[in-house]
Amino acid sequence: MVSRIREQFEASEGELATPAEADPKPYEVFIQLTRGQPHTHAGTVDAVDDQMALEYARKHYGRDQECVHMWVVPREAIMSTGYDDDLIWPLTDQGYRLARGYAADVRRKWERFRSVKDVDQYQAEDIKETF
Amino acid sequence: MSAGETTTEELKLDWGIQEDPDRLAEFQRRIDARELVEVDDWMPHNYRVGMLRVAEHHANSEIVGALPEGEWITRAPSLLRKLALIAKVQDEVGHGQMLYHVCQDLGKPRDQMLRDLCTGKTRYHNVFNYPAPTWADVAMIQWLVDGAAILNQKSLAEGSYGPYVRTMKRINMEEAFHFKSGEDMVLTLMSGTKRQKQMGQEAFDRWWSPCLMFFGPPDKESTKTGPFMQWRIKTATNDTLREKYVDRFAPAALALGLKIHVANKNPDGLIATKPDGTLDMIEDPLIRLDDKTGHWGFTQPDWEEFYRVIGGDGPCNKQRVALRRFSYEQGQWGRKAGLGCAGLPPTRN
Ligand SMILES: [Fe+2]
Ligand SMILES: [Fe+2]
Repeated sequence: MVSRIREQFEASEGELATPAEADPKPYEVFIQLTRGQPHTHAGTVDAVDDQMALEYARKHYGRDQECVHMWVVPREAIMSTGYDDDLIWPLTDQGYRLARGYAADVRRKWERFRSVKDVDQYQAEDIKETF
Repeated sequence: MSAGETTTEELKLDWGIQEDPDRLAEFQRRIDARELVEVDDWMPHNYRVGMLRVAEHHANSEIVGALPEGEWITRAPSLLRKLALIAKVQDEVGHGQMLYHVCQDLGKPRDQMLRDLCTGKTRYHNVFNYPAPTWADVAMIQWLVDGAAILNQKSLAEGSYGPYVRTMKRINMEEAFHFKSGEDMVLTLMSGTKRQKQMGQEAFDRWWSPCLMFFGPPDKESTKTGPFMQWRIKTATNDTLREKYVDRFAPAALALGLKIHVANKNPDGLIATKPDGTLDMIEDPLIRLDDKTGHWGFTQPDWEEFYRVIGGDGPCNKQRVALRRFSYEQGQWGRKAGLGCAGLPPTRN
């Protein structure tokens, strides 16, 4: 059947005459696997508008794993940094602004006041209580 | 009347409102199942307002709390301490920024919140109405006040409003740095000379009772079972948190050689002196571990003082609000430029 229709068509060559109906744009897709957790990047879809992007994203990225929520964002709306000449995490030592930058010093100083065993226990509680 | 004022007017607690009982029951079911409420979900009016109040008070506290500490940046005793303090102050203002965003999504415009803070319509945490006269106070604040904040915020991170809960988790990672660097400063001070230890003790005396007050007045029966606990806007009562705090900090302070005092204070927030020139305070007779309960005893802070200071009559209330107002007014050109009202092109959106 199909082949008969094909036979009645005259073969054409060269550039295709008809332009595409619309120009799809890339959208980045973010999915949330559990309520309350952050959305993570899942991939990209091409679509002509937001509604279609959401529909495609559902089909492509919402079905291969349990997924409770989804965002689509036009790629052109995303601002980003560069990799090489635009360092986000500075190369200089920034231990002074991190809890772990103090851990060894604090430990050593506590041992002047408390026994090693007590400091062990205190620091275990630290971690439990997110101090 | 501006749009902002109308919004604030609507954002008042109103226990006369009759919510749809089915929706209310479904909402409570989700909370009890530990589901997080998101910004676009249906929520009872008083949940929205209650959550907004908690988050706005918290946001205000972050930016007002940065004020007394910022004053110490130029006087930090070493480069490391200076870097750390700049980073801490930057963190706190960032916490304010994140929290104001949570509030905006709940329906109150940001500028309205900043103006309400300057004009005294909304409050910030009472603990920031006390003075920090020495570097040892900076150390004690980072150990005792940030320590109290972590305990409190950890309980808030178990709440029910998703955007606030996620903000708490993020904030607590940074608070851990504030606390550790504070602990390091206090340890340094208390391993130092006799005068350094004395400085540490005096600062501790100034901050211990404001930190006991930090968790709010003693529990009433009504607040333990009230809607804010039911909806998990709050997840622990004031007294529970205070007990946890004392259990952790009292033995640590004693181990460092600090004495825990019950003191009389002057209106300027400093310890009063007796006619013979000695400080008007005694060692807290209740500080000891109760073997039966497993908790540490302590003398309650002066709750009359608490209500007086909250009511506006504290040692630093006026300076804090005045400085915030100054910085709001001085920053006007920046906001204007950002919003495109100063003849400059508006930002992209
Ligand atoms: Fe903070
Ligand atoms: Fe902090």
